Amino acid sequence: MSVQATSVTPAQAPEAGSRNGSLARHRNALSGYAFLAPFLLFYGVFLLYPFALGLWMSLHDWEIVGDFREYIGFLNYVELWDDPYFWEALKRTLQFAAMTAPAATLLGLVLALALQKPLRIYAALRAVFFASNIFSVTVVTLVWAMVLNPDRGLIANGLRAVGLAPIAFLADKDWAMPALMVTSLWWTAGLPMALFLAGLQQIPPEVYEAARLDKASRWAVLRHITLPALARTTLLVVVLQTVMHLQVFGQPLLMTRGGPANSTRPLVQLIYETSFRDWRSGYASAISTVLFVLMFGVALLQFRLSRQEGE
Amino acid sequence: MKMKTLLPALMLAAMLGTTAARAGTEITLFRFFGGCSDAYANVTDVSKAVGECGIVQVLTNKFNAENTDGITVKTQSVEWGVYYDRLSANVAGRTPPDIAVMHRSVLPNYQVRNLLLPLGKDFAAVGIDVADFVPAAREGVTANGEVWALPFDLHALLWHVNADLFIRAGLVDEKGQPKLPRSPAELMQHAATMKAKTGKSYFAIPSGADPMPSWQYLTWVWQQGGNIVDAQKKEALLESKESREALRLLDALYAAGFANPQHDYASAQQAFLAGEAAVLVNGTWGVDTYAAQAATGKSGLKNYVVRDMPSLYGREAVWSDSHTWVMPKQTKPDAAKQKAALTFLKFLNDNSLQWARTGHLPVRASVLQSARMRALPHRAEYTRTATIATALPPIQYQRALGDLLVNELNSTWLVQKDPDKALADSQRAAAAILRRSRRR
Repeated sequence: MSVQATSVTPAQAPEAGSRNGSLARHRNALSGYAFLAPFLLFYGVFLLYPFALGLWMSLHDWEIVGDFREYIGFLNYVELWDDPYFWEALKRTLQFAAMTAPAATLLGLVLALALQKPLRIYAALRAVFFASNIFSVTVVTLVWAMVLNPDRGLIANGLRAVGLAPIAFLADKDWAMPALMVTSLWWTAGLPMALFLAGLQQIPPEVYEAARLDKASRWAVLRHITLPALARTTLLVVVLQTVMHLQVFGQPLLMTRGGPANSTRPLVQLIYETSFRDWRSGYASAISTVLFVLMFGVALLQFRLSRQEGE
Repeated sequence: MKMKTLLPALMLAAMLGTTAARAGTEITLFRFFGGCSDAYANVTDVSKAVGECGIVQVLTNKFNAENTDGITVKTQSVEWGVYYDRLSANVAGRTPPDIAVMHRSVLPNYQVRNLLLPLGKDFAAVGIDVADFVPAAREGVTANGEVWALPFDLHALLWHVNADLFIRAGLVDEKGQPKLPRSPAELMQHAATMKAKTGKSYFAIPSGADPMPSWQYLTWVWQQGGNIVDAQKKEALLESKESREALRLLDALYAAGFANPQHDYASAQQAFLAGEAAVLVNGTWGVDTYAAQAATGKSGLKNYVVRDMPSLYGREAVWSDSHTWVMPKQTKPDAAKQKAALTFLKFLNDNSLQWARTGHLPVRASVLQSARMRALPHRAEYTRTATIATALPPIQYQRALGDLLVNELNSTWLVQKDPDKALADSQRAAAAILRRSRRR
């Protein structure tokens, strides 16, 4: 907008030929692009180029080491369709995201509601709950592997103390996925909490005051004021969490290696193994494309929903 | 003003830098075995080092301190789980190290793509005697009539035995030594006797997400004269009768409660050391640790002995692999660095015996037969392993095949996947992996 506005000024000068005007406009456009250039360069080099290369690679037998490349059309996608490991990983990924994203949202909301008080102790607790977020995945998985260890772990000792047999969480098909979920929640719930806290601060205090005057119950306040006011934040949190958990990788890689019996191998781990262990980067690129479409779909959904709400 | 003084200083520093580089040659060494450069910071006395990491680190320290050619070996230690991924990335990024450790099973991937330097002539030049390598080791590093790596050891599966439990169960021969089974039926019988007489499990096997059972499975396939791949046709043979039988035996052991399917590496080891299991299935690398534990007298394991893999199906075979050292091809070959790297490899080869202290078997026949070797603890108890050591044929993508076996075989005892279905799924996935190796 501002570029156009300034470009009008020289044209208004009397006797200035249209050539002169277009030159000035040109120059303005040029300087505009010059300002954009750093971003465009980064965007091009680090996003567009790798993305295009990924698509191109997915049409090849492409080895990560050495220089073997062979165009094979859509064969990778055809093989993908027949590959039970891919479907299994897709199923596990969706399962993980579908369980973890809502749980993280709910946990974040509860934490935010519980900790949004002005006392210093709450500020300290907010920091504590957010702190786990800044650990690297290695630290988090190490801590949780110790907690979940069936021999010496915290939970095993607790179970033994009440006379129950300890559970080998990470070696049990039914427990491994929930164990990864809990680990991820502990790790990532800080971010939704922070977003909800920010959202809560946007709600004008007058509304709460009015509700108090009307003697509204706490439940009614939550249901009719807080939650509706947080609708946009909630949508944002759900989408961010879904996209994030669709890319789950470090936790299963480090805690279960995708096992037991393939029950926790997500798409990103499959991509990693296919590309780096098996050197099939072309095939891995095809899986990445599917994951991209999946995440793009979720982002589009958010876009549609937030626009509907805007109307 | 500042600029004026800074510039000459920088130039001087740059000049000094180059002269320093010219005086000595620095080569990079890529390896796993763990990081312990701090624990052994200035140690050059190899006898003070313990374990894989300690010994290789101190050997490097010693070489750096004592070589007369001004060579410095810079170690880059990479965590085992991601080692080959990192190495692939470095080779793909055209910044390969001068020397890298590589399993014999991974060698074909790099050799087929022409990513390694052939070393036969250079070995002869620096005095590494290829003829001294035991056949199994020499074959592992030879392809197309050329030598591609320096074999450093042979590591294989062993049965680590708690002799006291065998005595209590009455499973001893006339000399009072633990009696090992000679057939699958006898194994089941012994395991039942062990359980009945001592209340302990016969086996401790790392079974969760561990490759140990698949190495035992491969051993039993080979002992029947079968294999899981046809090296010529590059086809998978996972649904063969030998393969079915080997998996059947494993499943039978778990089903009867003779091994705990929930054990991971640490807990299986723990059970054995606590005296809760009679046989630990693990590699040569465990020998010194267990011997040391038993010697303390504090663990449940008091009477520790080692046994070669018993043959249950007539033939002798045991799963094995080798650590070897390779020199990746450089984009800009540097003769000085190449020479330095070879000098270091010669040094490692000369210190074969030191490395054997880890429990791995040396690959040099002269060292294997030496009195000093036989004087190492328990080594006399598994001398046959070097001759019965077996490996997969030199096909590509063995890591992928290995992981596939872990996935599918372990599902049969972890989640009761139907064994036939597991083998059929493995066969299909292995065919997809091998198809690419047929194309080049």
